[in-house]
Amino acid sequence: MAGEEDFFLEEKRFKQHCEEFIKHSQKIGDGWEWRISKDLGDGYLSKTYFQVRNRNITPDLKEKDSGDVEQTLFSHVEESLEDSQVPGVCATEEVIRYEYHVLYSSSYQVPVLYFRACCLDGRPLTLDEIWKSVHACYQARLLERPWDTITQQEHPLLGQPFFVLHPCQTNEFMSSILTSSQKDNRHTNYIVLWLSTVGPVVGLNLPLSYA
Amino acid sequence: MAEAEQQQQPLVSPQSEGRTEGGEEAPEGGAAAGAAEPAPPPAGSPGTEEPAGDTKKKIDILLKAVGDTPIMKTKKWAVERTRTIQGLVDFIKKFLKLMASEQLFIYVNQSFAPSPDQEVGTLYECFGSDGKLVLHYCKTQAWG
Repeated sequence: MAGEEDFFLEEKRFKQHCEEFIKHSQKIGDGWEWRISKDLGDGYLSKTYFQVRNRNITPDLKEKDSGDVEQTLFSHVEESLEDSQVPGVCATEEVIRYEYHVLYSSSYQVPVLYFRACCLDGRPLTLDEIWKSVHACYQARLLERPWDTITQQEHPLLGQPFFVLHPCQTNEFMSSILTSSQKDNRHTNYIVLWLSTVGPVVGLNLPLSYA
Repeated sequence: MAEAEQQQQPLVSPQSEGRTEGGEEAPEGGAAAGAAEPAPPPAGSPGTEEPAGDTKKKIDILLKAVGDTPIMKTKKWAVERTRTIQGLVDFIKKFLKLMASEQLFIYVNQSFAPSPDQEVGTLYECFGSDGKLVLHYCKTQAWG
């Protein structure tokens, strides 16, 4: 891996880029904040937001309904909608609480995206529901190898179950872009580049102003 | 590369050497929309089924490959402003003959991946220069 060392994200740089990221988030009111785990002293990015989700609109309120998202994404939810007695299933028009955390992984030396979603009454969304809510353009890949993509793990700092976007390819794709952007002498915020790439898979979109 | 002869992809202009410049001359005015794609068939606009008589304005996009991603023979395209990133991704994947499950990412400013539903017109307004929008595309596994 000669020459690619530059793109491994050291923890210090991770924090620097997070700081930059948060500054911009504060400027535009995007809701990201830095949290510190008191026990372990490690910090991470966190964002929580609420969305109304029903059958007819896409999960992301910020996006126009371009019609690209298949409505069949929600057909699974439709069946269960009437049966609100089924645990873990939300009713038709439900407010979903999404929580995203960006932690640093020292083993992979990259940031990792953890997330979870639950209804307001506390019922967490199932992995199946999460998979179904992934944007249409990623569905093919997801369905092919779901377990390589999103899995459920214990949050390293909070000890609670979260979904995780698997990080083992992160360095590779980040390196491709960073190699090319470095040639042009651009300053690139690692978090912005990374999160804008992987975030949409799990319903997290960064506003254009981060660019 | 005899691909141009063998594959008659209806949505895409053949990779004809002499005509690669066709996209460059695509006027932004749109008035001469019919003549905007002089040599290539209407598919000068990625993924558009309608012929070039469409009145929507088009913007010029220059596509650049990143890393090991195959380079498109035709790099300049006139694209409708309302085309989404996802639409563009689908088009490039078709053009490069990638499988549906392969991931392709598009970057603006080499620093940000616009969300799939983002319209290229908006990106052009924010990041376009010299009359065109430069987008980098990268075929890679992002996870797993």
